[in-house]
Amino acid sequence: MSQQKKLLIIDDDPDFVQGLKSILEAAKYNVEAAYNPKDGFQALQTKHYDLLLLDIMMGRGAEGIMLARKLNKDPKLREIPVLIITGIREQIAFLFPGQAVHPHLLPVDELVEKPVEPALLLEKVSTLLQAAETRKAQTK
Amino acid sequence: MVTKPSFSEEIANLLHATHANPVKTCIQCGMCSGSCPVARFMDYTPRRVIAMINAGLKDRVLAGNTFWYCASCYYCTVRCPRGIDIAELMYALKRYSIWKNQYKDGLVGPVFSETFVKTIVKSGRSYEPVLATSYLFTFGVQEFLQEAQTATSLMLKGRIPVFPPRIKRLENFRRMIKRIIPLGGD
Repeated sequence: MSQQKKLLIIDDDPDFVQGLKSILEAAKYNVEAAYNPKDGFQALQTKHYDLLLLDIMMGRGAEGIMLARKLNKDPKLREIPVLIITGIREQIAFLFPGQAVHPHLLPVDELVEKPVEPALLLEKVSTLLQAAETRKAQTK
Repeated sequence: MVTKPSFSEEIANLLHATHANPVKTCIQCGMCSGSCPVARFMDYTPRRVIAMINAGLKDRVLAGNTFWYCASCYYCTVRCPRGIDIAELMYALKRYSIWKNQYKDGLVGPVFSETFVKTIVKSGRSYEPVLATSYLFTFGVQEFLQEAQTATSLMLKGRIPVFPPRIKRLENFRRMIKRIIPLGGD
């Protein structure tokens, strides 16, 4: 249990990744980053991660969503909890006239919007990790 | 551990899904600039933009108007001897500057694409009179009147609908869009 948790960030914004990393590393997580969905998917397939932090707007458009759907179809990768961190409202604000980002956008565990409060982020991360652990224990 | 990507790597990441050659394989032959019909209106020609990206001159690339002036004719892409998708690169730069909110004020491009997407999402069809408002006011009086005159005669001939057109089964269409781009609401 005391083993260090391994997280993966997939986000194309290097500055944001750096910020996230410093927050998470200060909280004693082992953090890795991929800067495009393709590298990210490869990393997910080859290594084991406890949690995925995913951006939505990457590459040609909403590729984060496509990746999340792809993960959901994979029997092994769907076990990984996904935390979406998106600045989508700022990026294509006109599609969200005053409303919240669609809650049933895709089957992920949690969605937060950029900019993220460090405390809130850490809280969500630890809740998701804990939930994944209980899920694992139950299936065993 | 991956190190922080440079500007050219960031652009490469935006283009990861295209099957073309990476931008860094450019040999600076100038075929793109020579073929580009709007190159003379640009701050930097496409060839220079590619060189600037490879040199990591992020601020100068984003401050230039090159990618906003791109007419998307794809002539550069077709003729590039290295097989670089230059038109797609211009789109990538547009996305980059819109997503990061780093475009200059007073540009027609961002407002135009925003209005376009909005009209499509709302009615399923593009409607020129609404679209025109995104750039019409940047014109001088004479051009404005000329444009209005053309629009009126087009309307009288039935080439521009007076009321915004709507497609049948709009709800299905909106559901389809929702699969591709996340929309707000319900």
